[in-house]
Amino acid sequence: MPVTVKTFTSTHDAAAALSSDHSARYLGGGTLVMRALNEGDISISTVVRASDQAMTRVDASGSRITLGAGVTFARILAERDLAFLHAPARSIGGPAVRNMGTVGGNLFAPVPYGDFTVAMLALDAVVSVQGGLGGREIALEEFLQSRDRQAGTLVLAISFAKPGSADAFRYRKIARIKPKGGAVITLAAHLPVNGSRIVGARVALGSMAPTPIRARAAERALEGRALDASAINSAASAAVEGTSPGDNALASAWYRREIVGVHLRRLLSGQE
Amino acid sequence: MLELRKDLFADERDDNLKEIGKGTQRQDMLGHVTGTSPYFDDHKLQGMLHLKVVRSAHSHARLRRIDTSEAERSQGVRRVIRATDVPRNLNTLLSLINFGKDDEPSLAVDKVRYKGEPIVAIVADSPREAFEAIAKVKIDYEPLPAVFDVEEALKPGAPVVNEVYPKNTFTYHETYDRQQLRFGDADRALATADHVLEQRYQMSPIEHAPTETNGSIAAPDTNGRYIVYTSTQALFFSVDTCAKILDVPSNTFHFIGGTVGGGFGGKVDTLTEPLCILGAMLTGRPVRYVFGREEEMQYGPPRGAERIYIKDGVMRDGRVVARKVRAYFDSGAYTRLSSYAAVKCAAHLPGPYTIPNVHGDVYCVFTNRTPATAMRGFGVTAMDFAIECQMDKLAHLVGMDPMEFRILNAYRDGDMKAHRREAKNTALIECVQVAAEKAKWPLREEFKRMSSRKDGGGIRAAVPSTPRESHAPPVTPSQPRTTYDRAPAASREPPPPPPAPPSPPRPSAPSHGATRFSSVFGTRRR
Repeated sequence: MPVTVKTFTSTHDAAAALSSDHSARYLGGGTLVMRALNEGDISISTVVRASDQAMTRVDASGSRITLGAGVTFARILAERDLAFLHAPARSIGGPAVRNMGTVGGNLFAPVPYGDFTVAMLALDAVVSVQGGLGGREIALEEFLQSRDRQAGTLVLAISFAKPGSADAFRYRKIARIKPKGGAVITLAAHLPVNGSRIVGARVALGSMAPTPIRARAAERALEGRALDASAINSAASAAVEGTSPGDNALASAWYRREIVGVHLRRLLSGQE
Repeated sequence: MLELRKDLFADERDDNLKEIGKGTQRQDMLGHVTGTSPYFDDHKLQGMLHLKVVRSAHSHARLRRIDTSEAERSQGVRRVIRATDVPRNLNTLLSLINFGKDDEPSLAVDKVRYKGEPIVAIVADSPREAFEAIAKVKIDYEPLPAVFDVEEALKPGAPVVNEVYPKNTFTYHETYDRQQLRFGDADRALATADHVLEQRYQMSPIEHAPTETNGSIAAPDTNGRYIVYTSTQALFFSVDTCAKILDVPSNTFHFIGGTVGGGFGGKVDTLTEPLCILGAMLTGRPVRYVFGREEEMQYGPPRGAERIYIKDGVMRDGRVVARKVRAYFDSGAYTRLSSYAAVKCAAHLPGPYTIPNVHGDVYCVFTNRTPATAMRGFGVTAMDFAIECQMDKLAHLVGMDPMEFRILNAYRDGDMKAHRREAKNTALIECVQVAAEKAKWPLREEFKRMSSRKDGGGIRAAVPSTPRESHAPPVTPSQPRTTYDRAPAASREPPPPPPAPPSPPRPSAPSHGATRFSSVFGTRRR
């Protein structure tokens, strides 16, 4: 059966086409879907696209930032207001992939990819989706937990509060091949400070489970404390708790568990 | 800045050649930067079909049953090619120069020997329809024990990977399970050396990762000929390989190569052309067969992994007096070119140094891994890495500067190399001197004054007496060598009996009236 491409002007129609066909996949930048098709993935028979301008909108003027699902990493790198996201955007692929790859597609990228989603998770992002029954908003963590069942939903946008200060948000991708290798692990932390205490600590990890996950034990170790050596120590030693990394060609599960605390310590203490 | 040392190479180079040291435009550069260089895959022929192969899901398994009935009925399928359709379904690449036995089928028969081995080929109207038909091929496997480690493969009772070579080793000179080098008496020299250092080096396979994956397009031409656009980096080699496998004269084919989108040794194996042409023969239509990226990475042949043991004897004054090397080349499930790599490796020992006692055993071993092939200096690159690591460690052991240590041991003009050829035009000493100078690495005056043209030959030109293998002392049991220090004398074996006179050279088959012994092919049939 040949592959059919369906392009819709309205996201509603695109979402309906997606949810009514198990073999349909939404095509954002094509860095995942076209790769699968080229490699002979016969589970995809319909490619759905939407030309709605809202999908590529960036709203970064206020305290709450909204990125359309079709916003590319190259676009993020061109936005001065999104400087705090330049590190995660730049850590993805090479220029060709960043020109095509999108924020929405990244939510579906399997290990060892999906680095931008780790950053989004640390920012407590909310995903706007258009399902067969209408639009709704889902917390990113919940979205990722049910990601396998989300292929039929259309992601419209992702939104999150802008970090209060430049050093409240931190990001680090550990790769063997620089600048464009797949991740050994990826770490992001959002540490809002009230007075001298961290309030609402978020630590997110990539390649430490089948999807990006929050390191809740590390968050608890930081919550309500100053970011000092003792807080960093306890967060680093708790980093591995609740993770379930796998083996792949880049690293073994054992190695990932060994290094996650080391890199979290470096991230939190600002070491290169 | 490039510098041509005419004082060293005055006789070597025609002064009228004016290329070295200049920025010369590559002849293919304009096409590359303007995106107009033609590649094999730029040909979209009318009615072109697409070929994909069903690959083994197991590393080692018997094929109980292959059911293609559903695949044959699948939409868009023009032809299913099975092993029995291949006219001569057993080949080895270097059979074209009478080296090695045919050991690899184009499509697996009875059993598969590595994960990803082609079993059935599907020719369909589109790649998509070929993929859909592949999903409908049913193969009943009986998994067999597999072996993935070169030394495990040599143990008694190891699974036989390839029945053509039941001991899991390539056969050299129709007799030997390894390529051997014997020069002097390494065991005796090791017994009297001031320090002995034995180390193990392990390499991993390396994928060539070409931008353009392996592929070809074959189309029927007039007068029963076939035109073949191919990515091969060895065009005439590929022509003859296809002629053999398809059992037709080589002038049946008009091969068009040209721009290779990255070869590095990974495009000599002629993996796509035979099936592609066979598809065109069986359907009468143009057929395209190109590897996907995952196929290229997983099943395209890599540089083979090598395991190398080096045991060196060195004196306090820094002279290396013995080098004993045991190397295992992981050929994967089939020979391809690893047999030749092992020969090159043995010919390269002991590196560019004059060492009076050298003992080399280089094995080409079969395992249930992806067959390995050529890559940039294969057979020598990994061995050189091991040798140079070893040279650094030896220099450290005797407390010498590593640059001076190399100069001291470097071969010089007139020295006898371990494979019994006189060293000529040597320049390692000068290379080290220049490297030291550029790196501002201090060398003592006496080492700055040394030259490849001085102090060679003489007793260094002699072929040392080399014991016959049967008279050689038993291999000394491996002693714990946790430090670089020499083991206590008490733990050593008594010196071996005096060596027997060197064995006469093996008689070799006359070639064109002259008696020549090829260090590569030995008693090669003509």
